[in-house]
Amino acid sequence: MSNLGSDPHRHTDMLDGREDHAPGDEPEESAGHWVRNANLGLGFSVVLTVGAFLLAASDVIYPPAIPVALIVLAIAQMGVHLVFFLHITTGPDNANNVLALAFGILVVFLIVIGSIWIMDHLDQNMMPMEQMMRMQR
Amino acid sequence: MLGKLGLSAIPFSEPIPLITSIIVILVALGVLGLITAKGWWPYLWREWITSVDHKRIGIMYCLLGVVMLIRGFADAIMMRTHQAMAIDAPGYLPPEHYNQIFTAHGTIMILFGAMPLVLGFMNFLVPLQLGVRDVAFPTFNSVGFWLTASGALLVNISLFVGEFARTGWLPYPPLSETTYTPGVGVDYYLWAVQISGVGTLITGINIVTTVLKMRCRGMSYLRMPVFCWTSLASCLLIVAAFPVLTATLAMLTLDRYLDFHYFTHTAGGNPMMFVNLVWAWGHPEVYILVLPAFGIFSEIFSTFSGKPLFGYRSMVAATLFICVVSLMVWLHHFFTMGAGAAVNTFFGISSSIIAVGTGVKVYNWIFTMYGGRVRFEVPMLWSMGFIFTFVIGGLTGVLLAVPPADFLVHNSMFLVAHFHNVIVGGVVFAIFAGMEFWFPKAFGFRLHEGWGKAAFWCAFIGFWVTFTPFYVLGLLGMTRRLQHINFPEWSPWLYLSVVGIAILILGVIAQVMQLVVSIRDRERLRDVTGDLWDGRSLEWATPSPPPFFNFAVLPDVEGEEAYWGIKLRAVETQQLAPEPDYRPIEMPVNSPVGICTAFFAAVFGFAMVWYIWWLAIVALVAAFAGFVVFAWRDVHEFEVPVREVARVDRARRAAREALLERMSRHGALP
Ligand code: HEM
Ligand SMILES: [Cu+2]
Repeated sequence: MSNLGSDPHRHTDMLDGREDHAPGDEPEESAGHWVRNANLGLGFSVVLTVGAFLLAASDVIYPPAIPVALIVLAIAQMGVHLVFFLHITTGPDNANNVLALAFGILVVFLIVIGSIWIMDHLDQNMMPMEQMMRMQR
Repeated sequence: MLGKLGLSAIPFSEPIPLITSIIVILVALGVLGLITAKGWWPYLWREWITSVDHKRIGIMYCLLGVVMLIRGFADAIMMRTHQAMAIDAPGYLPPEHYNQIFTAHGTIMILFGAMPLVLGFMNFLVPLQLGVRDVAFPTFNSVGFWLTASGALLVNISLFVGEFARTGWLPYPPLSETTYTPGVGVDYYLWAVQISGVGTLITGINIVTTVLKMRCRGMSYLRMPVFCWTSLASCLLIVAAFPVLTATLAMLTLDRYLDFHYFTHTAGGNPMMFVNLVWAWGHPEVYILVLPAFGIFSEIFSTFSGKPLFGYRSMVAATLFICVVSLMVWLHHFFTMGAGAAVNTFFGISSSIIAVGTGVKVYNWIFTMYGGRVRFEVPMLWSMGFIFTFVIGGLTGVLLAVPPADFLVHNSMFLVAHFHNVIVGGVVFAIFAGMEFWFPKAFGFRLHEGWGKAAFWCAFIGFWVTFTPFYVLGLLGMTRRLQHINFPEWSPWLYLSVVGIAILILGVIAQVMQLVVSIRDRERLRDVTGDLWDGRSLEWATPSPPPFFNFAVLPDVEGEEAYWGIKLRAVETQQLAPEPDYRPIEMPVNSPVGICTAFFAAVFGFAMVWYIWWLAIVALVAAFAGFVVFAWRDVHEFEVPVREVARVDRARRAAREALLERMSRHGALP
């Protein structure tokens, strides 16, 4: 957030102290802390990525469990990204970010699950295939 | 060098588009010539085109929307008269032209007419009502507006150069695939909608951020005017739904340009996926339009009833309820596509449930009027016409949401009647109500009342005479989008509908007259107080028109109906709050980045439509370069000196003192 001082539309002074702040609007975070945070996140995500490749290529764990392990690693990876890069935390001034995330997940969930359900159903009112073949004959 | 573009693209052999083109070009040249002759360019460039002031951008959005509404209305006149003349006769529009007209009508009315108007109202009002000086990202705002304008430009260019899509306003494949529509029509549609879609998304993000992050001191969520709530909900839907549209159209674009197979019948594609995805955007879209309209009516009902809005909290809850549920009903647009009973029942019920939220709102508006001192000014007429019209549209919607019933009238004129009933009665009436209501705020003088009333009555009666026959025709079995009609039994209803359109034309004339007469008589109609309707929210605390910085000192809100509280206190103590301590104000500088990016985006779209690859690349790079230059800017705001701030605000206070004195003399307040 090195360009904080020059960000023309920080209206932080107009916000209540109780209010939360948008990403890029956090005033006090020091540069050092930010770098440490990002590096930590980088470290975690590299470990998780490399781990996924190693697990898949070797037989350190019971082979049929590998897909499950990969899913676990993937979810952990998402968590690392959210916490270290997108700064989603449980802190009190993070309500907006968490709500935005929840809304996003809800929308994706509705559209993806809904589409799968709908598309899976679209042949329901069709004549069974053999009957159609019979009629064409 | 010029791709597919050649002289054959100009419709020399078709008199109607050719003559229209010539007239439009002449008018456009005339306007540009007038601006040049009068030397208005520097003023326009400095004060409007490059402006990042949310009020100016809002006004430009509305202007764009109004012009496009008129264009779309011209299409509507042609469709009505053609159908009336095409009963066992050829009519006057050949099929390929008629199909372009209904496609252009839908696209223009929804995406380039109603959307810019709704976004314009949000832009103009949200910062004022929240008591702040601008939206969260002012320059971004200008980019968003100009991108929408570019999309509109592309659609209108298609009238003179090439053709427009003939597929209907949602270009269903396989018809819209290259196999069946090889021409440039669908490509014009795709690029125009994509470019304006990006603009809309930008504005959506902007308003969401503004509402969440930029309220003035004390403006907690539950003190915001309902219009801010509905704008928030509408923009959340924009952020959720527009990316779906962009992705869907991008896939169709890949199908058309690079032989992909997302929506083809062959190679594993599935056209039904397009229908599914496009409605996953399309249904939220209708609520994107109508939610801000609900907000406008809420403000009007409470102001003109002289009462706080009845059930403010239930209004907020209903808004959020509609916002979420509208994301789970999209299948009701294709009940007949083949889904089984489980799916159809689920979506049928969820669609009907939306009406519960809307019903809550309708009762709240009625109870707001109940026991109030209702003033039947023009905005109030539109609002009452809205309740009547919209309730009937909602009821026919619920009827359509019952799958077995929908199987009978899907894609019939009954459906056409339903959605015009809700969109005209809901959105368009709201736009006209809002214009009457806030025009004085934006321009400093009110609109002529007599012409306004004439416009309302013509629109209201004209609407019903035009569209009631559609319900009958739908039940008689007439499908939508017919270029030729061979059932003479339908003719009385089609003729009646032409009578209706004639009444609507009178309404449009009344609107134009209202504007002309009001501008002529502006001195007499001047609003000197800044609060001519006895308003309740913060925009009425500013002078009309508001200074570019909106508030000399940001307000400190102590309850719901922020401005009403301030006003009551002033009346009780018989004086204004003591003069504040003025400070210099920092405001963002104007920027040409919006218009430049949008210009190159339009060139890019045009080049893509005609396969002029080099030009597309050049335009894309240029558009991007604009952003880079902007990112390197080193001056981004300027300071308004204390003297100027104080001068503007003292003038406002003087006007307010005069108002206060007048009010206490006449006892205008309770
Ligand atoms: C009470 C809530 C509503 C319900 C239950 C409802 C239901 C429906 C249904 C079932 C259809 C599809 C009919 C068919 O294709 O056979 C439909 C179409 C449509 N509705 Fe509604 N509706 C409601 C409110 C609205 C509102 C508020 C708007 C706009 C502001 C709207 C705009 C439209 C449009 C534009 C279409 C047709 C699009 C097309 O096929 O081109 N509806 N509605
Ligand atoms: Cu719908």
